[in-house]
Amino acid sequence: MAKKIFPYLLLVPTFIIIAIFIYYPAFQTFKLSFYRMSPFGNRLFFVGFQNFWSLFTSGQYIQSALTTLIFVTVTVIGGLIISLLLALLLNERVPGIGVFRTLIFAPYAISPAVAGTLWAFLLSPVAGYVSYLFLILFKAQPQWLTTYPLALIAIMIATIWKNLGFNVIFFLAGLQSIPQSYYEAATIDGANSVHRLLRITIPLLSPITFYLIVMNVTFTAFSAFATIDVMTQGGPANTTSTLIYKLYQDGFVNFNTGFASAESVVLILIMAVFTYLYFKFGQKAVFYQ
Amino acid sequence: MRKVFLFSVLTFLAVAIFAAPVTIQFWHAMGGTDRIQLLQNLANEFMQQNPDIKVDVQYTGSYTDTMTKMIAAVRAGNPPDLVMIYDIGTQMMIDSGVIIPIQNMIDKDPSFDINTLVPASRGYYTVGGKLYSMPFNSSNPVIFYNKTLFEKAGLDPNNPPNTFEEFIEYAKKLTVKDANGNTIQYGFTFGSGEPLAWFFEQFMAVQNALLLNNNNGRDGRATKAVFANEAGLRIFNFFNEMIQNGSAINAGPGWDNARQIFISQRAAMLITSTSDVNMMVKAAQSGNFSLGVMFLPHPSGVPYGGVIVGGASLWMVNTNNAQREEATWKFLKFLESTDAQIQWSTGTGYFPVNKNAIIKLLYEGYYAKNPPYLVTVLQLLMSNVTPATRGGATGAFPQIRTAVDTAFGKMFTKAMTPQQALQWAQDQANQAIANYNSMY
Repeated sequence: MAKKIFPYLLLVPTFIIIAIFIYYPAFQTFKLSFYRMSPFGNRLFFVGFQNFWSLFTSGQYIQSALTTLIFVTVTVIGGLIISLLLALLLNERVPGIGVFRTLIFAPYAISPAVAGTLWAFLLSPVAGYVSYLFLILFKAQPQWLTTYPLALIAIMIATIWKNLGFNVIFFLAGLQSIPQSYYEAATIDGANSVHRLLRITIPLLSPITFYLIVMNVTFTAFSAFATIDVMTQGGPANTTSTLIYKLYQDGFVNFNTGFASAESVVLILIMAVFTYLYFKFGQKAVFYQ
Repeated sequence: MRKVFLFSVLTFLAVAIFAAPVTIQFWHAMGGTDRIQLLQNLANEFMQQNPDIKVDVQYTGSYTDTMTKMIAAVRAGNPPDLVMIYDIGTQMMIDSGVIIPIQNMIDKDPSFDINTLVPASRGYYTVGGKLYSMPFNSSNPVIFYNKTLFEKAGLDPNNPPNTFEEFIEYAKKLTVKDANGNTIQYGFTFGSGEPLAWFFEQFMAVQNALLLNNNNGRDGRATKAVFANEAGLRIFNFFNEMIQNGSAINAGPGWDNARQIFISQRAAMLITSTSDVNMMVKAAQSGNFSLGVMFLPHPSGVPYGGVIVGGASLWMVNTNNAQREEATWKFLKFLESTDAQIQWSTGTGYFPVNKNAIIKLLYEGYYAKNPPYLVTVLQLLMSNVTPATRGGATGAFPQIRTAVDTAFGKMFTKAMTPQQALQWAQDQANQAIANYNSMY
């Protein structure tokens, strides 16, 4: 009997922590999404579904959802393609490959806020290196952070760059687990390098790719916050305001707690759907060797 | 024997309790090593004079961060004794139910003369006839300009533009392009985001126009935004014209980018806070250019109003602990003293909120030696004190700023005409005000 209780006893601290830091706030968020609350919490009014109603009838929220969709799609697909190509290059046996691998991984190790600051400097309209290069090479002066759609593109580039290291490492690991004999057999059968890539490498990388897609969607949708905050603050005219950035603005800049809670609930639901799809189709769609 | 022992223990305890230093928490939002150190020094000086009081000074991030932390602390039940809250948080703090109006402390303490406070600063933080918070770091926007670049463009550096029309003209003349038609020097630069929305409010006051009804929310709770009118449109057009003709550059969100562009001499004029004057004077010395400061321009033919006090003030929190409240009040009086105000003002560029500090600096010849500082103080003192220049008060102010900045963005990116953008901002503002007011 004692044997059965003991393991649960060991789990208690974890459950307490999860309950305090995850379940309790989540419960509070659900509750507050049905209320209108004054900034200091001294006034609280039950408003039913009114927060959700104003969310979905607000043009800004819909715009923000669309921005997020475009942002996540382009960033994840673009990022994964670039990472795969880099991983293929880094998989070659050339001298100094260790140095290159380290350099590629470096951006992942810095904080998103620092990455944002770095890019904001590079893209600064008159003092930035990127702006300077554009002036010399193309005789153009794009205003990266203050015009549409350049600001969104700048955020995409910064986010792709930031996550590159993570993706490349996983692709590399995947590449190195593919047995060399497959390639040898294919070569003997007369397959050229493009065929080998499309028929062997990519299918065998599918489990890793699927995992990376899930991780990247989560990263991009949720962690791009710091980058956006530093580079554009959601501007110009909200064109870089993703759902998570808008949530921050409504909750912590405008102090509109009830409304922000409703946004939070919507995000939780989106993530729930995403997680469900992952477990349902994730295992089937992937080709394991 | 026993009784004597008990008595001595009790006496010892009583003495220990009364002599034990009171610790008060002071949260502020003044970033940068210089300012953090300056406030710490002031607190140290105060602690030396009052060994029984310990002031725990904490930098709690930007104005918005400090507000967020304050809200979290109030909800958690352990707020600081004294907190620095930005101008637009005034109505939210009044409605918070956790503060002690400074007026109550002043009414109890005849040693503090409220008339030493600069009228504009006092006016801003007075709502319904009551002074709610203690003015401390007061500022407003001015235009810094590069006299050296003025000379190069053939403009008189000692005769800067006064009106919107002249300003646009000057900005054009100060724009320099290379052989390929690329701009290598802009006439004017500014930061978007919160700064831009703040400049909008200031230019409304310059035209003596109200932002909100009920005399800017000073005579009663404001229920409507009233800035989508001719005055508002002039401001939108002013910025838009320079952006579209390429003589001004939007430096992006925040203060830093615009300052950087001006300091690196890629723009000849910059609108920013008077509190940057210290930084700008140093930058001009190391960048080897001559610095000028001018008042905000105004549209010609429109009667001049003035500027609104910006920056932040200090709020006393109700801790239900008379000893701590008394210590906090003592610290506040110290911070308002002539000497402390002189240290604070000359070390930053925020102007003194104590009249005696201004007078003393003037007599000592400080303003004669540092004309840029004089301009920043004069602009405020020459403003008419009207409902428009006392600034708006509403709990929905942060949302209004976000809306105004977004509207500017929509206009700059040509998604809306100036007229449409202005109307859009006002509609958003009205919705936010209605939403906030529904709770009170």
